[in-house]
Amino acid sequence: MQKKELMTDSLILGLSSGSSCLVTCGMVMFPYLMAGSAGVKRIAIDLSLFLLTRLVIYFILATLAWYFGQALFSNQVVRNVVPGILYIVFAVMLVWYSISKNRNQECPAKIVKTVNNHRLVPIFLGIVNSLGFCPALFIILTKGATQGTLIQSYIAFLAFFIGSSIWFLPLPLAGKIRKKEVLKTIGILATGLAGIIFMIKGITNLIGGIING
Amino acid sequence: MKKVKIIAGITWAFICLILIIILFPGLNSFSASAAKLPFMKINPNYSGGEVAQQLIATGCTLDIRKPVFDGLIKKRNKGFVQLDWRGNVPDKIVDTIDYDLDNKPDFCIFVDRDQSKTVLYPINSKVRDIIISTPTSYGWAVRVELIK
Amino acid sequence: MDNALTSSGMKKSFGRSLLYTLPMFLITFMFMTGGRPDFSRPASALAMVVTFLLVNILYFLMHYTGKTDKLRAILFIIFALSLSFTLINNMLETRNSMSFSQADILECKIPFCHLVIPMMILPAAFTNSIIFPGSIIGGFANIASMVVLWLVATLVLGRGFCSWGCFYGGWDDGFSRIRKKPAIKKISEIWKWMPFAVLIMVSLTAALSLIPTYCDWICPFKAVTEFEQVTSVESATKAVIFVSLFAGLVVVLPVLTRKRTQCSFLCPLGAINTVSNKVTPFTIKIDKKACTECFKCVEVCPLFALSTEGIKEGKVSVFCSKCGKCVDACSKNAIHFGIKGVPSGTMKNFSRNLFLFVSFLFMSVFSAGSIINSLQSLLNLIF
Ligand code: SF4
Ligand code: SF4
Repeated sequence: MQKKELMTDSLILGLSSGSSCLVTCGMVMFPYLMAGSAGVKRIAIDLSLFLLTRLVIYFILATLAWYFGQALFSNQVVRNVVPGILYIVFAVMLVWYSISKNRNQECPAKIVKTVNNHRLVPIFLGIVNSLGFCPALFIILTKGATQGTLIQSYIAFLAFFIGSSIWFLPLPLAGKIRKKEVLKTIGILATGLAGIIFMIKGITNLIGGIING
Repeated sequence: MKKVKIIAGITWAFICLILIIILFPGLNSFSASAAKLPFMKINPNYSGGEVAQQLIATGCTLDIRKPVFDGLIKKRNKGFVQLDWRGNVPDKIVDTIDYDLDNKPDFCIFVDRDQSKTVLYPINSKVRDIIISTPTSYGWAVRVELIK
Repeated sequence: MDNALTSSGMKKSFGRSLLYTLPMFLITFMFMTGGRPDFSRPASALAMVVTFLLVNILYFLMHYTGKTDKLRAILFIIFALSLSFTLINNMLETRNSMSFSQADILECKIPFCHLVIPMMILPAAFTNSIIFPGSIIGGFANIASMVVLWLVATLVLGRGFCSWGCFYGGWDDGFSRIRKKPAIKKISEIWKWMPFAVLIMVSLTAALSLIPTYCDWICPFKAVTEFEQVTSVESATKAVIFVSLFAGLVVVLPVLTRKRTQCSFLCPLGAINTVSNKVTPFTIKIDKKACTECFKCVEVCPLFALSTEGIKEGKVSVFCSKCGKCVDACSKNAIHFGIKGVPSGTMKNFSRNLFLFVSFLFMSVFSAGSIINSLQSLLNLIF
């Protein structure tokens, strides 16, 4: 896959998964990130720690995904067909995630309630959030696993990280937004839409993969 | 306050009325002014880019455009160069192209217009493949894929 | 007197209606003929006369009957049909097919339509250029004039553009009128936020790929205008998508629900027009004193702009396209055309007259060219 296409795809995936993270986990994480914060500086530090943790975890995942991908996807046919199927499965999960009624209960960040040390909360949240194994993360893992080089896998995860992090930046202002419900609805619909886009991409890849052998 | 609001609302409505009345008679001049805005030009990915060289043969001109690598923020790694043959284009085109103006040929191209067959002979390793080869209203156009 | 209108309060006498039609008559005459009618070519002269009469009779009837929506819809639907006819006819004449070729793209000859606008914004800001293979100025449906037309229309009419200007809206408006009663009544309100999700996704994907992704992958109206030649798995997938979306959202669902489902659940430009509804002076208002809370208006609204809670609070949402369907359905004249700043329940007649003049003038002049064109082609075909 071309570098530009890889970045575009991963960025969109990140953007779409970020919106669902925010509308589900964000609502849980927000009070913890902001709790007792004295001012902008504290919020900025907490948020940076949170994002940094996610970045580190993503780089680890990129390495692991690529490493296992090399072993698993060495056969050309498997390389052409399996990602297409996985795309479709995960895309269906993404759509399901957006229409599921129990969305909020699925948020792994709820575990954070068990952490007592306040300074560790952003780091803990970062770990929980990046390992949340939401459907979009599965897609990016597949992407990382099927890249030719480790650098490409890093690029995919980096773009995914940027896309999903953008959503967290306005988090400190979230309390001030009046129409939270509307934003939440649009975020969920955008997630579903991203699922559909990836499903179509998966089907096209699959047919293309089969036709081109 | 209520009166001010009413007057403001009705004034705005009348301004809109005037806008609509002058819109159509003035459309040509409004559009001409809009067309002068800095962003009102077609992206080179569609227009093919500016003409960089023009080679003139008897009755036929070959325009070699500037290579296009334009992306949203920075240049892309993959791009193309567009070639346009205009005028009395021969049925079989054979040309050697130096798109980067370094006085060394970069690729040769052969087009059989009757058979709609195009063959590319890359010389420079940055030259990849044919993206488009098609008849046009002015003659024939080809886009060749390049990498940076 | 204006405040105590009954259901037939918008009706005018024959003479008064004629008087109200006179300015429209003169202005449309000037716009259609340039002040000098040309009778040298019978087909074009006849087409022009028919269009001119159609427009003015409809406008006269709006005043005479006091009804808006059905009469508006007649011109709106004719506009949609004639525009598609003109485009397809043009394509068939020049290219022998409804699909455009690579050469058309290379030569930047694709007619521009307003649905591209949402995808133009980010790339225009970052690259200082337009990501569409059309012509900036000159030629059929050029970019500069379409942008100017849409900009003024959305500023003046807000989402009213979607009922008085958009030549695509006429398609699902038309299909939504086929059945007398809806077969599907319950539709979740949350889908009306979908155009915003589509807007976000297509703006981002278009910016990142520098391709107008909505036109390329989604737009259902390619089925009635023009589309890319099917030459690969990708172009075949695109064709399946736009044909299914057209069949589902423009034909089947509007017929079953009596709602404009494409405009309500998909169109990204509709989302932008919804936002510009905040700027326009014209609006729909609810006179709470006159309202008996029968909720007939909620039932008929084709764009999910009304809700029972909203009516109780006297609120019409930003999704309103000022089509007038609810106004016509209300027997108490409680829901009415209004002007922002003017209290609801007052100046009903004045507001309606002003709005109708502005919106109808826009629609009639905007549509006249393509209606005349298609009539002329039809006449040439017959004789
Ligand atoms: S929603 Fe879109 S297609 Fe429908 S009328 Fe409005 S701009 Fe046109
Ligand atoms: S609220 Fe009334 S005028 Fe507005 S879209 Fe609905 S029916 Fe049409």
